[in-house]
Amino acid sequence: MKASRIEIFKEALKTGVVTKRYPFEPIEVPEGFRGKPSIDTEKCIGCGACASVCPPNALSIEVDAKRGVKRIMLFLGRCIFCGRCQDVCPTEAIKLSREFELSSLNSKDLYQMVELKMARCEMCGRYYATVRQILFTARNVPKDQRPLLLLCDECRSKVSAKYISYARW
Amino acid sequence: MSLKLFRRSLWVYHLNSGGCNGCDIEVLNIFTPYHDVERLGIKLVASPRHADVIVFTGPITRETLPKAIRAFFAVPEPKAVVAVGSCACGGGIWYDSYAVIGGIEAFYRILEKYYKVRPPPTVYVPGCPPKPEAIIHGVAVLRGVLKQKQRKTYFLEKEVPTLTRDFIVNLEKYMKQEGGISIGKR
Amino acid sequence: MPTSIYEVLELMRKYGRIEKIHKDTYIVEVKADKVKDICSILHWKLGGHFSVTVGSDERLINGYFAIYHVFLLDEQKISIIVHTKANPAVPKIPSITPIIPGANWHEREAHDFFGIVFENHPNLERLILPYDWPEKVYPLRKDVSIEELRFKILKPETVKAKAKPEEEYIVPIGPYHPALHEPEYFELYVEGERIVDAKYKGFHVHRGIEKVAEERLTINQIPFIAERICGICGYTHNVAYCQAVEYAANIDVPLRAKYIRSILLEIERIHSHLLWFGVLFHLLGFDTGFMMTWLVREKIMDLAEILTGNRKNYGMNLVGGVRRDINEGKIKLSLETLDHVEYKLRNILSKMLKLKEIMSRTKEIGLLSREEARKLSVVGPVARASGISTDVRKYHPYAAYGELEFKVPVYDAGDVYSRVLVRYDEIFESISMLKQLLKNIPKGDLMAENVEVPEYRKGLGLTEAPRGENIHLVITGRENKVYRWRPRAPSYNNVPSTLVMLKGENLADAPAIIASIDPCFSCTDHVVVVDVKRGTRRTLRLKEISRGRAR
Repeated sequence: MKASRIEIFKEALKTGVVTKRYPFEPIEVPEGFRGKPSIDTEKCIGCGACASVCPPNALSIEVDAKRGVKRIMLFLGRCIFCGRCQDVCPTEAIKLSREFELSSLNSKDLYQMVELKMARCEMCGRYYATVRQILFTARNVPKDQRPLLLLCDECRSKVSAKYISYARW
Repeated sequence: MSLKLFRRSLWVYHLNSGGCNGCDIEVLNIFTPYHDVERLGIKLVASPRHADVIVFTGPITRETLPKAIRAFFAVPEPKAVVAVGSCACGGGIWYDSYAVIGGIEAFYRILEKYYKVRPPPTVYVPGCPPKPEAIIHGVAVLRGVLKQKQRKTYFLEKEVPTLTRDFIVNLEKYMKQEGGISIGKR
Repeated sequence: MPTSIYEVLELMRKYGRIEKIHKDTYIVEVKADKVKDICSILHWKLGGHFSVTVGSDERLINGYFAIYHVFLLDEQKISIIVHTKANPAVPKIPSITPIIPGANWHEREAHDFFGIVFENHPNLERLILPYDWPEKVYPLRKDVSIEELRFKILKPETVKAKAKPEEEYIVPIGPYHPALHEPEYFELYVEGERIVDAKYKGFHVHRGIEKVAEERLTINQIPFIAERICGICGYTHNVAYCQAVEYAANIDVPLRAKYIRSILLEIERIHSHLLWFGVLFHLLGFDTGFMMTWLVREKIMDLAEILTGNRKNYGMNLVGGVRRDINEGKIKLSLETLDHVEYKLRNILSKMLKLKEIMSRTKEIGLLSREEARKLSVVGPVARASGISTDVRKYHPYAAYGELEFKVPVYDAGDVYSRVLVRYDEIFESISMLKQLLKNIPKGDLMAENVEVPEYRKGLGLTEAPRGENIHLVITGRENKVYRWRPRAPSYNNVPSTLVMLKGENLADAPAIIASIDPCFSCTDHVVVVDVKRGTRRTLRLKEISRGRAR
């Protein structure tokens, strides 16, 4: 039916040129776009909540016992840009920005690494938590119980068990 | 081998090695009128023998490994590789499954170990799926037209206050004195 | 013939103990020798249809292997699960494939993953696992872990042995692709130009999702892996999984969250149907149609990006509700976009479908009669084009669909053109549904308050994807994980019907027929053509067959 072919042609002409001039002009992304996540190094306390909710394990936490630091590593190559880390971070340190131009020629450029110093337990001497995490928790704990925060979890449970048993006498 | 050989148009072969098809639809999207990458000289070809660049989407699964190896060897030198999406760059959300070999790095390790072949120039485009504009940016970085923006970053905490019993019990007093330790402010 | 729910349940009670799992879903426990009778009654006499077969290793709970056959009854609006147990030492169950041919692939998959033998099955061969998988290793059993499978049982050397480099340096003659030496999807046996038989080999996209979800992921991380099962209709998998867990744990989702979920589901349906139209026009050689439909589709993708933050993989669901809200400005923008899209489609798409070339290449081609469709238990637009009226949104309403008014388009001819018309009507029904949803969205919370999930409960989640009905069966487990999760995509039931549709047709019509069921492997469609009389084999892309370069 030749008539309808001409009509389709007319509609195509009406649409005109819609091509975006992308590499030569920048484009805008809407607000709320889920782009590249990045860790704000002033706010991160090294608690590890983001690493436990990340579905592909792009965020990983490990303890380097020789140097006494906790290492948080973010691998953008495996990130799925879901935003769960942003939901659960207690200090709003990791946020998703609006960048999407993340290509790189070397896979090592896709890593972000943050190392925070850890504290030693007063009784047994092993590294148990980062200094920033202890200070963050201390603000919500009453003053007379704060010295307990300087112990690792095993020693802390032994000491507080002793307090409870004394209280019963 | 120098990337300057790709100065004019690029002929691209697209291979889906076991992905969900999300990145494939985005690769097809860059040929539609809104992005129209054919004005930049990029063309999709049907045979790997005609191609300059091979585009991988999806993780390499056990079933597609022999086919991916054959397609890789069929592309003549000089060649380049574009790894599109989080599955091709790092293995994706199922990187540790029994049926998945991994991302493009695991593929290169197999090629080095069994065929003694060095990896070709590769550009990684993360995203799930990456926007069509991000894929165009990746190809432009491969050709050397644009500079890559993403660099690795490393931060090591320098100074920490020493934790004594007195310090932690009177935390608020010390914070006011030293101008505040802005740790974990909501 | 029993027609009310009460009468159906009384009939079921004669075969075994019946129990209600959650709203509109019942489970009947029968002994192995009665399985064939009860399945035959449910599928052929009571008007229900077979949906999925799920195998499960329940030796840690009660010491047996379990098989669940799920049937949906549209008239009574309920679902019935038939449950049998198999002996853990030598698991054997009578097969239902002789009475319901649609259960063929489902039983082969249960055999692949668990080692359950179905007696009297026509061909119990390997279906899903890769060709170099060792014998007697069943990956989904609970006594083998992913670590053991990866590092002790499967070694990469076995893969290397099949890919020798000497085979690659072959000079191409004609339309031959040396990279695709082995048949991948369809093997068509031809005599000259007519197809006499067809076989299908596939499943290279098998990634082992179910095992990863059982071992490593928590209940709230699984929606993200469910979205990435399919690259076009991922959000329906997300909603089906969340619904299954919410029904199993008796969680009440607030009404505003249900409306937001329905809005995104309909947006996905429109973009998927426009994508399908583009692919069909491309395979028929009409590239103008391809470019124009994908041009209209970009507006929908931009709308999805504004509402959710990404063009695909919306990431909006957690168990119990949604993560983001839609404010007034976004509602206004969505209504404007929908008006623009509707105007464009009524002008362009309707004219393209009336072209003589399109009609002559799709009418009376790829016929699927109503009896064949019932035997193979096809779902979605393929069933609606063959005269069966089935739609999960109408007969088993979920999310906010119970409050909307819409029609279900049904055509009788059973050819490719009917499937085109069904999808064309569905786009406009979706636009009208979206307008109703956007105008009547109620105020309220986004997340349920109590999201505790008890252990070892069963849940069934049903949604209507653009390709058909989507069904997820979930058995919750301990420590915030699931015990068994079986997602079944609609193409699983639809692909075997192509083998019936292709016999007797011309080779040049094969791409249109395969594309008309809207299979979820649209991007790497390769075909091997075997000429029976001359004894030659060739590997081609579907594009080449459609343009007549198959010589």
